[in-house]
Amino acid sequence: MILLVSTCKYRLSEEEFVKPVARIVEESGYKHVLRRYYEETEFSQYDKIVICGTALKDFEYLKYLSNFEKLLDYRGKVLGICAGCHILAKIYGNSLEELKKIGVYRVKLLKANPLTSMSEFNAYFLHIYSLSKVNDKLEPLALQENEVCLFKVKEKDFYGVSFHPEVLNRDIIENFLKL
Amino acid sequence: MKVCVLYSGGKDSNLALLKASREFKVACLVTLIPKSEESYLFHYPAVDLVELQARALKLPLVKELSPDDEEGGLAALRRVLAKAKKIYGVEGVVTGAIRSTYQASRFQRVCWDLGLWCFNPLWLGDELSLLREIVSSGFKVIFTRVAGYPLKKSLLGRVIDEKTVEFLGRIRRYVNPSGEGGEYETFVLDMPLFTRRIEIIDYEVLGVDYDATLVVKKARLVEK
Repeated sequence: MILLVSTCKYRLSEEEFVKPVARIVEESGYKHVLRRYYEETEFSQYDKIVICGTALKDFEYLKYLSNFEKLLDYRGKVLGICAGCHILAKIYGNSLEELKKIGVYRVKLLKANPLTSMSEFNAYFLHIYSLSKVNDKLEPLALQENEVCLFKVKEKDFYGVSFHPEVLNRDIIENFLKL
Repeated sequence: MKVCVLYSGGKDSNLALLKASREFKVACLVTLIPKSEESYLFHYPAVDLVELQARALKLPLVKELSPDDEEGGLAALRRVLAKAKKIYGVEGVVTGAIRSTYQASRFQRVCWDLGLWCFNPLWLGDELSLLREIVSSGFKVIFTRVAGYPLKKSLLGRVIDEKTVEFLGRIRRYVNPSGEGGEYETFVLDMPLFTRRIEIIDYEVLGVDYDATLVVKKARLVEK
């Protein structure tokens, strides 16, 4: 069972940021459960967790970071997309910087990994904050210019992706589900 | 939250409107009227009839003429949304974008610059599922333009029903089933939020198979 976590303040945003991910999960043959960022969730019930993104103006989820700190003890696999990536970076002690990026940009892989092995690819970005550097808890896996846009949490199967793989790179989500 | 809907009068903007109305107060519709069919961002045919739809919806319509070029189109979008924000106090914009990252990223940028939320409730939706949702929700939608093989002139004026959805599914290797690439255009005569439906009294079909337009010459609102 896959846990999908919505970071959307408004349900209408879930149509845009959660439903497309849910469809990929279903089409890959997995069942899923949806929980929301403000709910306290027992993560250990689930094998894999995908924390989905939200609207550009939506930062409400950042007020509920404490709900996600339990992930530090979680032994399963996590994929954080955009807002979800920010959550992973923050709970591991990283800071976000303001850097607006909207549209399709070229991503360069730093290191082959289970989610993607393509050396370069296009990806759809939709964010205001980003990571230009990460601390020693995270391993950068791909860059978009100076932005760390794909990382892995060291010694965990936790991945953060700052772009929206559901748009142009659904293989990243499919490969995560196969982990 | 008060929102406006970027409204072309076609099936996608109407479905986006229906979804938005379930959560937010829709304060107005906004529409851009391209100077020609060459517009990159916005649908052209039947846009003159949008006023009739706005009356059926009992919603104010904020309009702006849009030049053909990309920069001019974006500036017009910025103006019309700024107007909706100022006059009706909207805090968010709802669009019917489905798959075009070109279209979606421009809407997102303009909304961010104006301090508006941007909602795209059809985003990445399966095109045939969206069409089925339109049919099952009681929309009455007709084709007003066809532009590409194998869409024949005889489709114009036809109401989209389950058989039409099946047909669009069968030809999806030629045509995007949602028509988002401009392969076809639609016009909504009725949907659940309309207080009255639109009746076409007089029309003309121009063009040939695979490139034809239905021009509505006269239409009116009638009781449902």
